[in-house]
Amino acid sequence: MSGDFLTTIPPTPVSLERRSAARALQQTRPDAALPRVLDVDGVSIAIRDKVIVQDVTFWIPKGEFVCLCGPNGAGKSTLLKGILGLLPVSSGRIAIGGEDVAAGHRAVGYVPQRKGFDRDFPARAVELIVAALRGRWPASIRPEERERARAVLAKLGGARLLDKPLSGLSGGETQRVFLARALVTDPKLLILDEPTAGVDARGRGELLELLTHISRSDELAAILVTHNLAAVSKTAERIVYIEAGRVLCWGLREELLGQSSLTALAFQASDHHAHAPDEE
Amino acid sequence: MDLLTEPLGLLFMQRALIAGLAISAVCAVIGVFVVQRGLAFLGDGLAHAAFGGIALGLFLGASVEHAVWVSIPFTAAIAIGIGVIQRRTQLRGDVAISVFFSFSLALGVLFLGLRKATDRQINVESLLFGNMLVVTPEVLTVVVAVSAVALVLTLILWQRLAYAIFDPELAAISGVPVAVLEYLLLAQTAVVVVVAVKAVGVVLVSSFVVIPAAAARLVGTTLARVTALAFLIGTLGAAAGLVASYHLDTPSSATIILIHCACFAAALVLGRRRR
Repeated sequence: MSGDFLTTIPPTPVSLERRSAARALQQTRPDAALPRVLDVDGVSIAIRDKVIVQDVTFWIPKGEFVCLCGPNGAGKSTLLKGILGLLPVSSGRIAIGGEDVAAGHRAVGYVPQRKGFDRDFPARAVELIVAALRGRWPASIRPEERERARAVLAKLGGARLLDKPLSGLSGGETQRVFLARALVTDPKLLILDEPTAGVDARGRGELLELLTHISRSDELAAILVTHNLAAVSKTAERIVYIEAGRVLCWGLREELLGQSSLTALAFQASDHHAHAPDEE
Repeated sequence: MDLLTEPLGLLFMQRALIAGLAISAVCAVIGVFVVQRGLAFLGDGLAHAAFGGIALGLFLGASVEHAVWVSIPFTAAIAIGIGVIQRRTQLRGDVAISVFFSFSLALGVLFLGLRKATDRQINVESLLFGNMLVVTPEVLTVVVAVSAVALVLTLILWQRLAYAIFDPELAAISGVPVAVLEYLLLAQTAVVVVVAVKAVGVVLVSSFVVIPAAAARLVGTTLARVTALAFLIGTLGAAAGLVASYHLDTPSSATIILIHCACFAAALVLGRRRR
């Protein structure tokens, strides 16, 4: 379907005001000469003829940890679904490691929000991790697969969780297992969709420590969707801030978080959208 | 030993045993996914759709034996309809099933009522409750062929189906065709239910889908174990129930289901002890 026939989100006076405020901020982009793990180029995504993401451009070089922030309903989850190949893009291009999404999905490790999976499903952590290796649910686990799952869980301090049923795990333990699942395929790009949401304070602290550790990697690029300012300040090298489906600003953490204007914008935006339907 | 050799020496019991084992095996394995997907009511809904389809076949002039060939596409279409409503609306699966359940039953009654007084008499009771002991060689061939194909297909797709049911989004990212598998599961369940209705009847067929899988789910710790246990409970229960029904002179399908229920009760106790 042509983009001309799609409904677009009209820019509100508030968002125009924010855009001019954001333009005034210093926003340092990554070196364009560096090889890009993720390249989002002029991407628009529509759901049922309604444009949710509009002309979004940013890229992530190898080893960079980016936080994707914005109010509820801004289009973050829709953009993630586009990057994961779950939604088609209306225009523009998404490339992972230089390849189209369909070919590049093997280079992506994904940690979903906790609510996605069937909590009554009879499964152990090892099966979930091996499912990521095979792309199918395992009926039985080979010794080498078990060892690989154990090793990645051990790196995350969760070796004891290997044979535990998923239904018996706490929120923090569940996310640790899902993180192991995402990392077991040695991805180039890690995508984390609000991993701390719904996790208790202790689990959130542990998870944040793990994310901070991952953010120091020179090899793995990551994109973290979060509303958690602590997570942003601990992990982000760069921030992509989205509002009403468009990139409002994209720059280094110090440039954007250091500016009270953006923080204020974020809070204002959150309040502004607090009662808006979540079209993501 | 006579307990086994005496009934199994009779031809009609041999046919009943083969039909019972085939139906129990495929229903139990498909049932694991149906129950895990939260669609326990699906078997009932599709059995009543099968009734509507058979009534349509009779209305169109087919014999009771051949009305099943009208019922198969009719019930599969109903199953796909349930899937479409579930995926494209906010309604839950049980609501979609309930709507089609009522629609099919009403159509079935309507078609039976529209038949001419001169048309061949239909034994509605045998349609509702079935009788495994009077399975003809022709029906047995269809039951075994459909059950074997459906069982093999389910086992081939087991790993993908399991992933899709655990988390459709993660499965889709891994390249699993989630929507196709869901429709396939529904259509396959429909075909199995229609064929099983010939032997066990409209009212009882969903028990073959739900009870062994539910019992296995209470004690199985992985989906692979749940599947294996459901298969064992389904088939052993069918064999034991059939032999018991011979010696006790009780209806075969009902006896099998009561044995499956006994397994469910045992699993309930075992499952509680484990926790």
